[in-house]
Amino acid sequence: MENTAKLANQSGFMKGLKDGLPIGLGYFPIALACGIMAAKVGIPFKFAELLSLLIYSGSGQVAAQNLYAGMESSILMYALTIFVMNCRYILFSVSIAQKFDKSMGVLQRIIFGFFNTDEIYVVAMKQQGELGAPYLFGIAVCPYLGFLIGNTAGVIFTNFLPKSIISALGIMIYAMFIALIIPPAKHSKPVAIVTLIALCMSFLMECIPAIKSNLGPGITIIICAVVTATIGAIVFPVKQEADVDEGGTVNE
Amino acid sequence: MSEQQFLWAILAMAGVMMLFRIVPLLFCKKKIKNQFIQSFLAYVPCAVLTSMLVPEAFNSTANFWSAIGGVIVAAVLAYFERSLIEVAISSAVAVFIIEKIMNMVNFI
Repeated sequence: MENTAKLANQSGFMKGLKDGLPIGLGYFPIALACGIMAAKVGIPFKFAELLSLLIYSGSGQVAAQNLYAGMESSILMYALTIFVMNCRYILFSVSIAQKFDKSMGVLQRIIFGFFNTDEIYVVAMKQQGELGAPYLFGIAVCPYLGFLIGNTAGVIFTNFLPKSIISALGIMIYAMFIALIIPPAKHSKPVAIVTLIALCMSFLMECIPAIKSNLGPGITIIICAVVTATIGAIVFPVKQEADVDEGGTVNE
Repeated sequence: MSEQQFLWAILAMAGVMMLFRIVPLLFCKKKIKNQFIQSFLAYVPCAVLTSMLVPEAFNSTANFWSAIGGVIVAAVLAYFERSLIEVAISSAVAVFIIEKIMNMVNFI
């Protein structure tokens, strides 16, 4: 019995490692871009490294670096920005916690909480059945390493990379989002409609100057996501979670 | 901003992040039975990802047209369900090529 459990743990970890690899490779260029930006706005190397170790979020890091570049001196402003950008993790955490199995104790939840990201969340939610600690720890390894190594490389190699390469790397995280969004929408009409509503709404909010100038990008993302998911839940209630999750061949 | 202050700013940001990422995981141990909440949570991933995609994707490269090209290439490959990394790299290559062509045209 003990041996089979150990084997199951190992294969769960290996499967997670494998699922996390493309995410990690995808983070590398994004983190590279973050690191390049950190060097450009003049953040000392040790702080750039601390940022990438602790602020495990490309968008969060870019926001922090923008504040630094704008000579922001209020610590509250830094905290508030991150607060707004991370609100969506309440939604993520509540929904992914529904899929946790018994191996997710308090310590495991704390560790996974730190290493969770948008992409890890989406890929993990596509798995059939419950999620165990071995799989979730496995999937977290490559993305964090990719983020850290990319960041460091960006800070160090800023002056060596041509502009055309840096520009091309900029699209990669969004291409990855597209690769996560389209296949489920292709297989489920309700998901396609909800995605389309989110698309229109996000676009509209960008077009209305009053919204764009008064609310930060973090807040518009939250409003847009909450409204569209609510519309989806009212118009197309799901019988079981499997109805929406099926058809995800995103990560093979 | 002094080094000391920036250090505190980083720690404050890290604290806020952990609060949001870890605390809900600790306090959400029961399965949710409510159909509305279940449906809502099922739609959150596509809603959030789409909201983050637009309009930022179109400002992610050196110019708008190369971003459009990158998005189209990504969308087509994603529709045919290619892997994440394939979609991401093809899209970046498309952006690179489009910008090279635009530069050449500008030279002429």
